[in-house]
Amino acid sequence: MSPFHFDSLIWHWPIAIYLFLAGVSAGAICFAVLLKHFKLGRDAYKSGFVQAACLIAPLAVFAGLGILVIDLTKPFDFWKILLFYNPTSVMSVGVAVLMVYQVALFAWLACVFKEPALSWCSGRWPVVEKLFNAIAKHEATITGFLVMLALSLGAYTGFLLSALTTYPMLNNPVLPLLFLVSGLSSGAAGTLLGGVLLKGNPDGKEVHFIHNIEIPMILVEIVLIFTFFAGLILTGGQSQVAAFTAIGEGFWGWIFWAGIVVVGLSMPLAFNLFMKASSKRKFSYVAITASCSLIGVLLLRNFILYTGQMTVA
Amino acid sequence: MSNSRRLFLKGACAAAVGASGFTIAMARSTTSGDVEPACNYALVHDETKCIGCDACSIACREVNQVPEGVSRLEIEREGPFGEYPNQHFRFTRKSCQHCDDTPCVKVCPTGAAYKDPKTGIVSVDEWKCVGCQYCIAACPYQIRFINPVTKAADKCDFCKETRLKEGQLPACVTACPTKALTFGDITDPQSQVVQVLKSTPSYRSKTDLGTRPKVFRIASQSGEIKL
Ligand code: SF4
Ligand code: SF4
Ligand code: SF4
Repeated sequence: MSPFHFDSLIWHWPIAIYLFLAGVSAGAICFAVLLKHFKLGRDAYKSGFVQAACLIAPLAVFAGLGILVIDLTKPFDFWKILLFYNPTSVMSVGVAVLMVYQVALFAWLACVFKEPALSWCSGRWPVVEKLFNAIAKHEATITGFLVMLALSLGAYTGFLLSALTTYPMLNNPVLPLLFLVSGLSSGAAGTLLGGVLLKGNPDGKEVHFIHNIEIPMILVEIVLIFTFFAGLILTGGQSQVAAFTAIGEGFWGWIFWAGIVVVGLSMPLAFNLFMKASSKRKFSYVAITASCSLIGVLLLRNFILYTGQMTVA
Repeated sequence: MSNSRRLFLKGACAAAVGASGFTIAMARSTTSGDVEPACNYALVHDETKCIGCDACSIACREVNQVPEGVSRLEIEREGPFGEYPNQHFRFTRKSCQHCDDTPCVKVCPTGAAYKDPKTGIVSVDEWKCVGCQYCIAACPYQIRFINPVTKAADKCDFCKETRLKEGQLPACVTACPTKALTFGDITDPQSQVVQVLKSTPSYRSKTDLGTRPKVFRIASQSGEIKL
């Protein structure tokens, strides 16, 4: 069986990239909210890390939606997904969540960047000022909704696959949780990488804050991956076959052990623990750790999507 | 601040409960099928009579204008079993099972994949379909495909738009030279399908998935016993 072409394969890598980008967006905005709320307050917009997260979140979600639309066999009919609605379809529910998420996202961005935006307009357009003030009044509510929507978006990417009874490996209740947590950690990594590229201080309080959350998050991810495969193997039958096809030998086995377990999880974990001991963080440390996490999550999405479709119930 | 947060939490909980309640209610009403169907079409493939001549799949292609490279119906061949001169093959039918509980319909975001409440026939609304291929991934029998001409999802529809419309039996049923195929309404106790199903033991594919397929099979005598 060739790793990228087999009979039961329906969804190809564009879907994996879409799942990856949706997770990055949801994760990045969650960390922007956390940074603003617990560390930076009103000055959040001055931080390179918050700026990076606020750039990544909308761009990733647009790019993801763009890929999704192009991947349809009838891309010009995409509006029918918005017009017709099927409440039993995870995809329908997910598209609805994505739409509301974008509204909440932009409302929150308006709250965060209210000061610089208003000073840039410098009272030229009173309408803009009024709008920003009206939105900022509801910042607490918007933030709450945004976090809820971001978490739903992160889990949705997993539900999208776990709804498929055809493939025993995907039809798995742990998958949405695994995708949510790995999506959050890819968002954290994207925020860190973008932040240092935007000249954020690699030893700043933002980095310390995110790294403190990252260690437990990686540990949870490892536990979830273990639960995922242990569950499949203990279920027996086609689930067991699927698990062993995925993490056994061959191309995808290598991707799993070398790419996901070593590069994506162990190395960031080791770097993080190491950086905790040595107090000073440098640009290269932060950038390399974050890149490893991002590569790991991107590989995880592809790995699950492809190997998941290899075994049929 | 704390007041608005509490208000927000209350609102959020109400919204979450409302949304999930609505979704579950809709899901139940669409799957439990409160509307008693006027009839419920089923098909029997008698593998003991099937000789693997492919007359059915050729007729299907012609009548339903199925383009080259894709097919609504395939006859899968296993074998040969036994020694010359007593060799035999086993033929199984690969086509839409017209599940009573339909994974493909449940996942379709636009409702393009639908089950006709009057006949129980599962079909695709070509216009509504956007080609997301979710239904293709969701069908455990792997019989859906994207039609290269219409770009929409396609599959066997029991000839709903062609032969049934003219009041005739599906093309594959008529074409079969050994009368291995029986088509009809399983809610009608007098129908031929019900007679066949009552007189002969049959099986269905992947019943453990809860899809309740409406293609019944009468097991071939040849073939391996697999564990
Ligand atoms: S066999 Fe597949 S396409 Fe046909 S009704 Fe069942 S799930 Fe749908
Ligand atoms: S491919 Fe068409 S019929 Fe199938 S789920 Fe998508 S929109 Fe529905
Ligand atoms: S019932 Fe009609 S569409 Fe279905 S396989 Fe037979 S000929 Fe083809």
